[in-house]
Amino acid sequence: MAQSAAVATARANRRGEAFSWACIAPLVLVLGPFFLAPLLAVIAASVFQTDGFGGMTPAFDLSSYREILTSGLTFNLYWETVKFTVLTWFFSLVIGFFVAYFLVFHVRNRLLGLGLFLLCTIPFWTSNIIRMISWIPLLGKQGLINTALLETGLIHEPLEFLLFSSFAVVVAYVHQLTIFMIVPIFNSMGRIDKALVEAAVDAGASRFDVMRLIILPLSKSGIALGSIFVVSIVMGDFFVVKVMSGGGSASVVGAFYEDVGVLQYPKAAASAVLLTVVLMVAVALILRTVDIRKEITR
Amino acid sequence: MTKAQGHIELAGVVKSYDGLTKAVDGINLEIPDGSYCCFLGPSGCGKTTILRMIAGHEDPTEGEILIGGENVVGLPPVERRTAMMFQSYALFPHLSVRDNIAFSLRVRGVPKAERLKTADAMIEKVRLEELRDRMPNQLSGGQQQRVALARAAITQPRVLLLDEPLSALDEQLRVQMRTELRRMQQELGITFIHVTHTQQEAIALADMVIVMEKGQIRQAGPPRDVYSFPRDRYVAEFLGGQNVISGRVEGQSDGIVALRPPEQKAIRVPCAPEGAPERGTQADVAIRRDDIALLKPSETIDSSLVTLPGRVRALEYQGSFVKVMLDPIGDDDFIVYVPERKFFETPFQIGDLALAAWDVGYGRLLA
Amino acid sequence: MAQTFPERASSASAQTPRVVRGKALAPSKGKRPWTFYALATLFTAYLIALYGPMFCIYVLSFQDVRGDLVFPVRGFPSLYWFGQLFSQAHTGDIKGAFDRSIKLAIVVTILTVVISFLAGLAFRRRFRGDTTIFMMMIGSLVAPGLVLGIGVGLLFNALGLETHWYSSALGAQLSWTLPFGVLVMFAALSLFDHAWEEASRDLGASRWQTVRLVMIPVLAPGLVAVALFGFTLSYDEFARTLQTAGPLNTLPLEIWSMTLNITSPSLYALGTVTTVVSFIIIVASLYAIASMQKRRARREASH
Repeated sequence: MAQSAAVATARANRRGEAFSWACIAPLVLVLGPFFLAPLLAVIAASVFQTDGFGGMTPAFDLSSYREILTSGLTFNLYWETVKFTVLTWFFSLVIGFFVAYFLVFHVRNRLLGLGLFLLCTIPFWTSNIIRMISWIPLLGKQGLINTALLETGLIHEPLEFLLFSSFAVVVAYVHQLTIFMIVPIFNSMGRIDKALVEAAVDAGASRFDVMRLIILPLSKSGIALGSIFVVSIVMGDFFVVKVMSGGGSASVVGAFYEDVGVLQYPKAAASAVLLTVVLMVAVALILRTVDIRKEITR
Repeated sequence: MTKAQGHIELAGVVKSYDGLTKAVDGINLEIPDGSYCCFLGPSGCGKTTILRMIAGHEDPTEGEILIGGENVVGLPPVERRTAMMFQSYALFPHLSVRDNIAFSLRVRGVPKAERLKTADAMIEKVRLEELRDRMPNQLSGGQQQRVALARAAITQPRVLLLDEPLSALDEQLRVQMRTELRRMQQELGITFIHVTHTQQEAIALADMVIVMEKGQIRQAGPPRDVYSFPRDRYVAEFLGGQNVISGRVEGQSDGIVALRPPEQKAIRVPCAPEGAPERGTQADVAIRRDDIALLKPSETIDSSLVTLPGRVRALEYQGSFVKVMLDPIGDDDFIVYVPERKFFETPFQIGDLALAAWDVGYGRLLA
Repeated sequence: MAQTFPERASSASAQTPRVVRGKALAPSKGKRPWTFYALATLFTAYLIALYGPMFCIYVLSFQDVRGDLVFPVRGFPSLYWFGQLFSQAHTGDIKGAFDRSIKLAIVVTILTVVISFLAGLAFRRRFRGDTTIFMMMIGSLVAPGLVLGIGVGLLFNALGLETHWYSSALGAQLSWTLPFGVLVMFAALSLFDHAWEEASRDLGASRWQTVRLVMIPVLAPGLVAVALFGFTLSYDEFARTLQTAGPLNTLPLEIWSMTLNITSPSLYALGTVTTVVSFIIIVASLYAIASMQKRRARREASH
């Protein structure tokens, strides 16, 4: 008798497991051939030998890695990329955090808050490339900003650093990516019980204390998620750097693209593997601070 | 198969989620058809798990569940002909009151006209005519509960399972809905199983109260039995309204045990001759707080009364009675409920000496 | 401590507390703190920086033949550069690219919604391998798009398959839209009360009926969000598509090559056109959803 119940339980568990697998199968069927397999292909290519014309022969040759890791150029590329990543992350986090904070805690009308939030997300639906080049008429030598500054007499020579510079790259990135911070932070801040803030104020906490002790820890998951988006997008990107730096800066992926362009597959692949490892480490570090899955499904 | 439709039997039911600890630990219980049965216990005592196992939302690890004489373990809820009313009511937020109520008919493929007619009849029964086209988020807590009840009842279940159905309501509404639940149960004539952690709710509603602790049944029986004749300290304390005093057994004669609480003289407690505890052991006695009279120390005392002296520690006005807290006996609080009028005839003040007195027959020895 | 009952009862009326009327109890009516103004300024500045540059190029796209890439605006308004844009000789196959991008985005959207919904259901409970699959999903989200694109290209090459926008690019885009879709589903499902599902089962619904009659309608807003994500991410996808689109370009690839080759306001005209198209699609889909709901509400009210 007791066994029949145990059998029923086991059957129910198996049924649940089978259902879960049936539901997850399509995802796996996409990620297998279009994430895992290409990644393995790139790893394989990184140790193959090349004839210099795009043909590859299977081998286990680590010379591509040696070449990359001993080259000073690699260091420079990573330095540039990490620089842009950190700057973009920092500015988008600061802006994104305070925008979300404003919308959640300062806008008293919920509908208005939601409306303003949607206003922030609308440009996300338009082309990134177009949004990037839209800075050109503003930042250029004869752009709006320089013209305005010249006319007011604040400067006498047009500012050169505005366009086709590291400055322009960071501006374009922050412009594109702050929304990736706002959305998850807005989401996790929205779940904070307002009574917590009132309780903290009753307990004598200052505005700064509330921010540091209540809001910051409770929006941690949003910050982590936003950081993952921003870091991975900047590190994996190349066209913003290419266009907005005017060729003045390079990026890891940009160099990779050029290697592919001249059919240097193993070298490109080795560089890609290295980059992916660096990125995964960065993301793993962020994920260590918070259990994203648990936080989101909470 | 001769058992009535709504007769429920639990035989050796065990539920363990992790294989180590048992949420439900060997329940054997018979619930007669057409009764209103309340599972009572603190949160985590396993009462909701039992309900969910009867409903078929969980399977027992061991044991059998019989409804109408038939083992239902492994059957889906529909085939058990049970219906559950969820704690949160779980009304579908995208459907109107009427569509919520008609949901079970819709999934069974009942034609639209027919299912709306049946739903409307049920809506009338729970007096929701005006709210027919409202969405759940436009309803008050009490209205939501009525919709949930109607939605469950329309499936014509043989057993209705209610998970903390009144906990989301405010005090006044709770009392009102209590009456309504009872009325519905009598009207439908089916077995109701109701899970709660409020003793008042349980004893007000049930034909049968089951007091649970840590996955086990401590006492099952009609509410009056459970309230007035608690089997042990746990049941007495959980149902409340009792003073439980611990003491050392000093001796017994003629079905009366002498029990000596710490730093007090012995008190007399009746007991069955065969169940008398041994001399020198510790035993608990329960006395209902409203069975105790509060006397001035100067009053003359009938020899048939048992008395305990104490100082008034605190007073709480409760409307129909006054709650008087005396010095604790050992570790146990000692409280007397004095009827309001009686209290104010000869009021006590904090710090006054008082004599708590009760008839020997009112004390009950606990297991 | 000497307070007693009769006394308390008699003095109760004398001690009836004054009704306090203060602003402290109603913070929603109080004076705004200085931080409000500081943050409101920041927010406004953010919005200006967000929209300003885009409005600049919309304005600049309506210049006439004398127009340049920078201000001042010359010969406003004129559709000259829009005409240039669609004369294939100058700019390549914009129209075809549009067409392909929209078709691709629609397919990606549908697949993303369906697969994310199912994956969201699966992830609600633990099953063997769930953490691995979750990590794989995060990996797919963060991996450099261009690298994955080239990996797909290499793979197709090794298998002797040709890359096309409707095969390899479709898969590559899904590897990007799906993690987003599943994360949005997680958020939507976190608000879904498990009891609704149990109630549905309790009332006799089969698993499929529960999905169709309860889960999909309740999760509809989340599914719309997934769809909008899927559409936009695909419509604007560049890095993963670059090496997987095969012989025919999608729109972002076309725009990309234009930014490298064209230095005329045609570029801005293209910006205006793509923005208008995005908006038409979003407004149209939102309108469709709204009217669908209205129709449903009317249907429910009528019976």
